[in-house]
Parts: sequence; structure tokens; C-alpha cells
Amino acid sequence: MARDEAPKEKHVPVQIEFCGVTKMYGAVAAVRDVSLTVSRGEFLTILGPSGSGKTTALMLLAGFVAPSSGDILIDGKSVAAVPSYRRDQGIVFQSYALFPHLSVRRNLEFPLEMRGVAAADRAGRVTRFLDRVHLTDFGDRLPWQLSGGQQQRVALARALIADPPVFLLDEPLGALDRHLREQMQDEIRSLHKEFGKTTICVTHDQEEALTLSDRIIVMRSGRIEQIGTPEGLYDRPATAFVANFLGEANIFEDPAFKIEADATQPSGTLAMIRPERIRLAVATGPGRADTDQRQSVIGTVTKMIYAGPLRKYHVSIGKSVLIVRQHVASGQEIFDRGDEVRLDWLRSDVRFVSA
Amino acid sequence: MKTLQKLGRRPIVLTAPAFVLLIAVLGIPMVQLLLTSLNAPAFSLSNYQGFFEQTSNVRVLFQTVKISVVTTAICLIIGYPTAYLIVSASKHVRIALIVLVLIPWLTSGLVRTYAWVVILGDHGLINNLLLNLGLISSPVPLIYNRLAVYIGMVHIMLPMMILPLLSVMQGIDTSLLAAARSMGAGPFLAFWRVFLPLSLPGIRSGSLLVFVVCLGFYVTPQALGGLGDAMLSTFIASQVASSFNLAPTAAAAFILLGIALVVLSIFGLDVSGSQGRAARATRKSLPSPLPSFAALTRFLKDLAAPYRAKRWTAQLYSARGDSRLSSIVGAVFVTLVMAYLLFPGLIVVMMSFSGGPALEFPPSSLSLKWYRAFLGDPSWTGAFWNSIQIAVTVAILSTILGTLAAYGFNRTSRRVRSVLTMAILAPITFPAIVVGIATYFGLLKLGLLGTRSGLVLAHSTGAITSVVVIVLATLANFDQRLERAAQSMRAAPIQVFMRVTLPLILPGIIGGAVFAFIGSFDEVIITSLVSGFDMQTLPLKMLENIRQEIDPTIAAVGSLLTLMPLLWLMILYATWWWSKSRLQQLSAKPPA
Repeated sequence: MARDEAPKEKHVPVQIEFCGVTKMYGAVAAVRDVSLTVSRGEFLTILGPSGSGKTTALMLLAGFVAPSSGDILIDGKSVAAVPSYRRDQGIVFQSYALFPHLSVRRNLEFPLEMRGVAAADRAGRVTRFLDRVHLTDFGDRLPWQLSGGQQQRVALARALIADPPVFLLDEPLGALDRHLREQMQDEIRSLHKEFGKTTICVTHDQEEALTLSDRIIVMRSGRIEQIGTPEGLYDRPATAFVANFLGEANIFEDPAFKIEADATQPSGTLAMIRPERIRLAVATGPGRADTDQRQSVIGTVTKMIYAGPLRKYHVSIGKSVLIVRQHVASGQEIFDRGDEVRLDWLRSDVRFVSA
Repeated sequence: MKTLQKLGRRPIVLTAPAFVLLIAVLGIPMVQLLLTSLNAPAFSLSNYQGFFEQTSNVRVLFQTVKISVVTTAICLIIGYPTAYLIVSASKHVRIALIVLVLIPWLTSGLVRTYAWVVILGDHGLINNLLLNLGLISSPVPLIYNRLAVYIGMVHIMLPMMILPLLSVMQGIDTSLLAAARSMGAGPFLAFWRVFLPLSLPGIRSGSLLVFVVCLGFYVTPQALGGLGDAMLSTFIASQVASSFNLAPTAAAAFILLGIALVVLSIFGLDVSGSQGRAARATRKSLPSPLPSFAALTRFLKDLAAPYRAKRWTAQLYSARGDSRLSSIVGAVFVTLVMAYLLFPGLIVVMMSFSGGPALEFPPSSLSLKWYRAFLGDPSWTGAFWNSIQIAVTVAILSTILGTLAAYGFNRTSRRVRSVLTMAILAPITFPAIVVGIATYFGLLKLGLLGTRSGLVLAHSTGAITSVVVIVLATLANFDQRLERAAQSMRAAPIQVFMRVTLPLILPGIIGGAVFAFIGSFDEVIITSLVSGFDMQTLPLKMLENIRQEIDPTIAAVGSLLTLMPLLWLMILYATWWWSKSRLQQLSAKPPA
């Protein structure tokens, strides 16, 4: 499927390339035989649980650790042996790593100074970037005098100010509360649009990955589990791991339960359906009009969780329990523990994933 | 060539200068002394046998260990509650109390010993007071006995016990105690089951420190004790000066070192780690060593459970009387401890202003005559300048070498680091007299005995160690991600160090320099062995005078030295304040 692959039709040159990169720590492989390409201007997110090797992948790219085998190419040149300070990249660190002894202005000046930019040019550029991240009046403050969101914006500005071609983000929003996180996601998206940098972001937050990225790499124990667009990954996960890590998934593991699905589905051993694809209705009510395209079963509600705009139900069918999400809408039936319900879903919404 | 280049990139290389100095001054002579004591190349244990065959030696050895153990125990019994009360005091009181503990710690041990001579002596403060009041007709023997030794040694060691306890206790998360209380543990039980186990690392390092320092210490027992209170180090020191055959002395020193090492290896010393790491490490090693003991305590706890269950229901929601009494008891206790720590110094300061022909307390008239005597006597001022020059040189040398070494350690793998750290800590974990003997031997071989350079080298071993410990602790709090951030902005390693690392660890480096200076300026044990006849330092001159008890000028010197810690604290505070205000200035200044 075209949307699962890199947007090659634009014919943008490949900028970053991992060729069979492995990083061993003693006998443990933090990253194992990873190959991938990133195109110029692309926003790529490396997503995975802790210990999946995603941070090591970023550290390899940043030049803080050297690969045990394999090669890393930037613009076609091998950088495996190039120390970090001879690479041209801007990094936003987890918890920002703002220099505590330097003012915001001096922090922003630092990368310019290291690149030998003249003092007069520096001042103008810093002012412009301070304006850009809405911190015009904060230049003389020290980092600890800023709020978390402000520190984050300084870190973004500092990474972008020297105009590096590659922009790396390490868990950029992990330290912020939910509200600020959404604001900063907007900020990062608009900065990416404005500067068009090749951006690689490492995170364990699936929502961040889904909303920001052009493509997502899901990593699991040092390997790439799947690469794809956010929609492609969410809609067509290849494995049960990806299905569960990106959103919630109902995976039918009870062989007694017969799943009907379209024959055109890609092969996989386990049937999977997303909770929001399932409809709930009163068990004794009439069937739907389009029943020929739907599978329908009767189950019992074992749990109801109220979550603001939606309700989450656990419904048991035989040995399996299905999770169902229903958006709250006026006139909708509300069920409670013990209620008999009819569940139905489109056969075309069923996916098959490997274990 | 390639291996050389590779080596050059390794941070461990930075520790080399410090190690070269340590090995030349201390390491090689240690090995040679060990061989001498074993009668190498013939190798026999005859020197050790000889030592144990003389009952007087064994008695002194036993006495040394006993005095050290008792002193450590008293320090712990007084120090633990003191530290606990300091930590639980309000912020301002806590800071004031910490300063009051720091002042005696930074004061020369010699002066503090001298103060006790003045207080306890036959014509000292207490006897004079009692005589004047007519309560006694002849002086009570307060000095030159075991009690005086304990009073003086505990006085000197107590800050060394309190400070590690404080640093660990301050790191204990108070919400843990709140959590224990919310689960129904009363104040005592919360302390016993949560606070005490978490403060164990402090107990351990404090006790080890005090014990090992006591083992090698002889100035105080010699000045305050009788003939029967001699420590092994006194015996060793006198042997170095009088005997030409080094072998028996070396054997005695290694016996002392052996005791220290056995104790250290049983309890394990972790001076370098941050408190958090130390706490975690002990918690891991706690349960295993005595399984039967653990089983016993668990059994006892199970026995107590029904009682506790009954009490829990009985006391549920019952209001509790306030704890005013306990806070009054606490305040009185802390006040007494502080008086014990500070009073002797105060007495010396006050007496130094007395106008009478001899020292007296309280002074009948005020004058500066003893200060004038100090300034007018070239032997005193000469010694003073000698000490200042040596201490400044030591501070500069050891700050540079120590900072390099600490930085190197900080960047090395943990396994290498722990081995090398043990080695670099030797000068302060070995009994002072053993270090003194080895240094004496080392400087003898280098032909530097009795020279200023020799003294600088001798003092630098310990000074480097304190710089390493302090700078390492500072580096442990330094966020290495800042260096990575600087690197990612194209700062080369040297730029990273100068622009990011150095400014942020500067307070630690200055602190290290101050401690290096103090260590050298107050050093007396090693100095007395290696100074020869020509080099006179202030502590040596004082030691001479305490023994002879003739020249009251020593009160003026002592008073100056007692006031010095205030100067140190001001320097340390100024450093902290300066680095903070410099930050503000930097940030206020528009970019050039």
C-alpha cells in the first residue's frame, strides 16, 4: 500500500540512512540490525516502550555513541566515526539541558558562537528567535526562572537557531502536563512546517507520534517492528505488538470464536478489531439494515468506565472479553454491568495481525 | 602510536598526574616498607613475631583499639541524636547549627587539644575555679588520665561523626516517614523501621571515619593522657626519630594498617558516592549477611503482631498529647553538645586577651600583649609564614591534580573507578601515622626530607584526596547531558569543559582548594616526622609549646587559629554568593 511507504513520489533525496546498525552493550544488543532511510524534510518518529532501543537509535544518530557494526550515512557520507561536535544538528534533549549558568540569550547564542558567527549577527538572530517562540522579554532570565513550557520553547529555539539540516527531539514533551503538551505539539508542528528540517523524534507517547509524524517507526527490543504513516500503522498494524502499542486493540485469541472477515485481508494469524469500530445495541433489539456486511454477537457487559466524551465497556463473549468504546451522543443507550448487549461490526474492519 | 592516541582520548589519563605523585611519595615507600618489615629478600615474620612477643606492645595495641572503639561509640551515641535533631530543626536553626558544627571541624585539632589542656590542667580553668570557690584544697587530677583522653578525642572526632550523618539524613525523603505514619506506625516505630535503616550509610561512614582517624591519632592522647594511655602511633613516632632499624617500626605500622583495613573491608567505605547511591547500595547488601538474625527478628516481629493489632484498634482516632516535653529535651541536648564543641575554643580566644603575667581565666584585665609577643617573635612569625607558603603551594598543586583526577574518575567505567578511587583515598583512609612513616621513607629516598618541597609533597597526598572527594561529589550532581547539549552545538571537548563544565563545578573546586589549604596548614602528624630540624611550621611550634607549657603566646596563636574557620566559612559562602551573583550579572549584561 502506497501510504505505508515513504512519500517517494515527491522524489526528495534520502538524507539519513541507517545500514544494518547494531549497538551492543556487553552481550546485550540495544539496537539490532536496524536499517532505515529518512528523506529530506520528513518528520519521522521512533516510537517504542522503554528499553526498545529508541533512545540508543537517537544517540547513535546524534553521535554520542558509536555503532558496534553497520554504518550511518548523512547526505551520503558515513558519520559513524564523526564525533557529535563535528556534526551539524540541533537536538532538543529530554528535560531540555539548558545551561543553568547562562541566560536564555546566552543559551541561544551558544551554538552560533561555536560556529563562529559574528557577535553582531548573533544578537539579531537571537532576538528574532526569541520573538518566534514568544519569549521576547525573557532573554535575560536564567533557565530556572522560566516555566516548563517556556524552557521547552528555549530548547526548541536553541536547537534551531544555527539552522542545522537535521533536528532531533528526545522525548520532547515528556516533562509537560497534558494541556501544555498539546500546545507544544502545535508549536513543534508549526516550526517543522516553517523550517522544513529533517526531524527525528523519539517518544513513547503514541498520541505524540500519531499527531506529529509523517512516518512512524515502532521499535521493539532493539528491532524495527513496523514502519509506516500514522494512519497506515494505526489502521493496518502488522503485529499484535503494534496493534496494542498504538491505541487499544481487541485480539481474538479464543479459537472457539469464529471471525468472519473479508477475503482481501492481508494474511496474519490473529484477528483484531479496534474498540471504536464495534457498535453496541440492546440485545433484544432489531438487527441492522446492512447485516450482510456485519458480524453480530450477543455478550454481557462486565464493566462500564465513564471517561467524559466516551464510555468504555468490557463485554464478555464466551471466554473472550471485548473492549468497546462508544462516544457519548444524545439519545444513546447506556448499559450497565450485567446487561445483555448485541455487538456488531463491519467485516471489512477486521484486521489480521501476526503474534 | 595508535594505542597512544587511543589512550590520549581516555579520560582515565587525567588521573595520571595525581597517581604519579601518590605512588612516588606514598605507594613505592609503602611497598618498600612492607618488604623491610618482612626482612626481604629473606622474608620472615620475625619482626611481627618480635612485636607480639613483647607484652608491652600487645598491651599498647589492645589499648589503641580499645580507645578507638570507645571514642567511636561515644561519638555515635552523642552524634546520632544531634544529627537527627539538627535535621529535624527548622531551616534557619538547622543552618545555624550546621555552621556551629563546621567551626570546630575546621579548627586546628592542636588548638582544640590545647584548649582542653587549659581547661583540665592542674592549674587549669576547672581546678582554679574550684580552688577559688574553696571547694577543694589541692588540684583534682583531671588531666593525664583516660577520662581526659576520651573527653579530648570525642571533642575532636564528634564533627567527623555528625557531618556524614547529616549528609545522609538530609537526603532521606521525609515523605517516607509520613507514609509510615499513614500506615499506622507511631513516631518511634516510623523512626525505627524507616528512618534508622535509611540512615545506616551515614552511621557506617561516620563510624569508620572516626575509628580509622583515632587509630592513627596521637597528639590528643599524648597531650591529655597519662603514661598508661599511650597509643601505638605514639610508640611508632618515637621509634622513627630514635631508632635506625626501621624494620620493627614498619612491622608495627603495618599491624595498625592491617587493623584499619580489616575494619574497612568488613564494613566497606564509600566516601565517593552520592548519598543516594550509598543508601541504595547498603539496602541491597543489608539483608544477606546474617540470615539467622533476620529470621529471629522476623519471628519476634510476628510475635508482636497480635499485640500491635490490639493496640491499633484501641488507639485508632485517639488524640495524642503534644510532644512539648520531647522538644524541650531535644533543645537542651543540642545546646549541651554545641557548648561542648564550642566552649573550649571560646575559652582560648578569651584567655588570649588576658593582661596578667600568665594565662588565666577569666582574664583579670584585657590586653593584646600575647598577640604582640606572637608578632614580635621571629620563631613564631617564621613558622607562620612557612605554614602559609606551604599551604598555598599545596592548595594550588593539589587542586589542579585533584580536579583533573576527579574529572577522569567521573568519566570512567564504574568498575575501574571503584578500584582506583580506593587507591586514591588511601591517604585519608589509612591511619595518619602509617601515611607519615611511608612519606618519611619516601622523602628520604627522594632526598627531600626536611625541605619545603618535601613538606609540600607530603601534604599534597592528603590534600589531593580531599579535592578529589569534593570535586567528585560536585561532578555527581552535574548533569552530563549539558555537555552533550554543548557538543551537539559544535563545541569541541576543551570548549565544553571551559564553557560549561568548569563554570558549573567551580564552587566545588574552590571548596576543595580551601580544604587542601586547611589540611596542610593544620597538619602535624606527618609533618613532625618529615620536617627534620630546619623546617618549622606553626602546628609544630605549637605542639612543642603545648608539651612544654611555657609560652602563653600559644593562646594568641590558638585564638587566631580558632577564628580562622570563620574566615574559611566566609570564603566558602562568598564563593557560593559570587557564583550566584555572577550568573545574574551575566544574564543582565546584554550580549556583546
